[in-house]
Amino acid sequence: MEILFIFFSALVLYGGLVTVFHRDLVVSALHLAGSMLALAGLFFILGAHFIAGVQVVVYAGAVMVLFVMVVMLFDLKKEDSVLFSKGLWPKIASLFFLIGLIAGILPLSLHLFQPLAAQVIEPTSTKELSRLLFTKYVLAFEVLGVLLLLIAVGVAVLCRSQKNVTTS
Amino acid sequence: MDLFEITINLIKIAVIFLLMVQMVPLLVWVERRGSAFIQNRFGPNRIGPLGLVQNLADLVKFLCKEDFLGHKGRKGFFYAAPVLSLIPAALAFGAIPLSTPIKVEAFHWLGQSWGPYIFHFQSFVMGIGIVFVLGVSSLAVYSLLLAGWSSGSKFSLYGALRASAQAISYELALSLSIVGVILLFNTFSFSEMVTAQTGPLSFHFFGEVVTISFLPNWGIFYQPLGAILLFVALFAEANRLPFDLPEAEAELVAGYHTEYSGVKIIMFYMGEYGHMLVASALMVTFYFGGYTFWPFLTPEKINLFLSSLSPTWNSVLTAFILHGVFMFKLLFFLWIFIWVRWTLPRFRYDQLMDLGWKTLLPWALVNTVITGICVFLFA
Repeated sequence: MEILFIFFSALVLYGGLVTVFHRDLVVSALHLAGSMLALAGLFFILGAHFIAGVQVVVYAGAVMVLFVMVVMLFDLKKEDSVLFSKGLWPKIASLFFLIGLIAGILPLSLHLFQPLAAQVIEPTSTKELSRLLFTKYVLAFEVLGVLLLLIAVGVAVLCRSQKNVTTS
Repeated sequence: MDLFEITINLIKIAVIFLLMVQMVPLLVWVERRGSAFIQNRFGPNRIGPLGLVQNLADLVKFLCKEDFLGHKGRKGFFYAAPVLSLIPAALAFGAIPLSTPIKVEAFHWLGQSWGPYIFHFQSFVMGIGIVFVLGVSSLAVYSLLLAGWSSGSKFSLYGALRASAQAISYELALSLSIVGVILLFNTFSFSEMVTAQTGPLSFHFFGEVVTISFLPNWGIFYQPLGAILLFVALFAEANRLPFDLPEAEAELVAGYHTEYSGVKIIMFYMGEYGHMLVASALMVTFYFGGYTFWPFLTPEKINLFLSSLSPTWNSVLTAFILHGVFMFKLLFFLWIFIWVRWTLPRFRYDQLMDLGWKTLLPWALVNTVITGICVFLFA
C-alpha cells in the first residue's frame, strides 16, 4: 500500500509539474489527464472506489478530453508566445500571485503534517456516500449544482454572436 | 495467496486477454462473409475452407507493409495511439464475469497440501464493476484524438474531432441508461446482477408478489427502454455504422486512421472489435441474464446434474458450460452489431447530435425518473 501510495503520488506530482512547465500545450493537457488518473489511483487505495471511478469517468474521461480536443483544434503555437513571453509585467504579476497563493496556503496546511491517529481504512460504501450527500452536505451539493448551471448559462451568453443581440 | 493461486490467476488474465484478441479474426471473417451474405455476394471464399484462412493472408500483408509517417506527424504520439486503443477495451472486458466462480477443494499435490481456492471467471473482480467499466471505456477517446492529431493530416484531425465529440455526447446517454438497471438490481457488481436475474420473473406489485413462471427474471422485461437506449449508445461508443462518422470513408478518406498502415491499423481494429465485445457483454449482463439461462442452465441445476463428479470437477465443468452460454449470447449480440452495420446507412452529423442530445438523453432521464419512482413504490 505504501509503495502504491508513493507511486501514485509521484505520478500526480510529475503530471502536474509537466503540465505547468512543458511548452507544448497538447503534452501539458495529456499530462494533466495522466495526473487525474493517478489521483483516481490514490482514491482507490484509500478505499473510496466509487469516487475513484467517478474521477476517471468525469475528469479523465470527459473534462480532459474536451481540453485536449480544444487544444488540438486551435493551433496555439503563435498565440501562446505572444501571451506569455511578452514584457516584464506578466512575469512580475504572476510572481506576486504565486507569493500570495503560498502565503495563503501555508498557514492552512502546516498542521496537516502532524500524523493522524491510526485509522482502519474501510471501503466507503456508495450507499453511505450518497446518504451523506443528500443529508449532511445537501446544501453544498445543491450550491455546486447551481454554480455549474451558472457556468453553463454564462458560457451560452458569452458565446452568443454579437449580431443577434438587440440593443434596446 | 500461494504460488498455485498466483500462477492460475496470471494464466487466467492472459487467457481472457487472448480470448478477446482471438475473437478479432473470427469477427472479421464473420463480418466479411456476413456482409457478402446480406448483399447477395460470395465474400472471401478462395483461401481455405469458407475463406477462413483469408485473415492469415491479410495478416502477412499487414506485416509486410511499409511503416510510414508523414513529415508533419508527431512520432511518439503516433506510435502510442494504436497501443492506447487496445488498453481500455482489454481492461473493461477483464472486469466482466464470464461465468460462475470455480471452487477448488483442498488437495494434495507434490507432497504438499494446497488450500481451497475460489477462482473468479474474470481477470479481476471490482466491487464497483459498472463504474470501472464506464470509466475505463471513456478513456478510449484519447487514442482516437492522439491518432488523428499526431498524424499531421487534416482528414485525420477531422475524424478525431468528430470521434471525441460523438463519444462525449453519447457517454451521457450511456451512463444514464444504465442507472435504471443499477436502481432495479440495487448493486454495482456484475455477478450480483446476474444472480438477481436467475429465476422466474417475479416482482412486488402493491404488496403482492407477482410471478410469471414462464419468463426468466431478465432486466429486459423491466427496462426495455433502457436496453434500447444503452444499445444505441453502445453503437455510438464503438464507432460502428450507423455511427461511424469518425471514419466516414466517403468524406474523410478513413478518418483518424488515414495515415496508419501495417500492424498499427490491426491494433485499431482490435480496439474497435474489443469495444464491440465489451458492448455485447454489457448488454448480455445487464438485460439478458448474463451467463445463466433460466430455467434450463442455472448453476444449481448443472451442479445437480453433475453431482456424481467430485466437487472440484463439478465446479469446473459448471463454469465452462455456463461460459458457453455466455459466449452464445455474446455472439448473438455481435451478430446484431454486424447485421446493423450492413443494413442501415450512416447518419448525417446533425442527425447524430440530435439523436444523442435531444432524443437519447431526455428518454434516458425519463427512464431514470420512472424507474426511481417504481422502485420506491414497489420495492
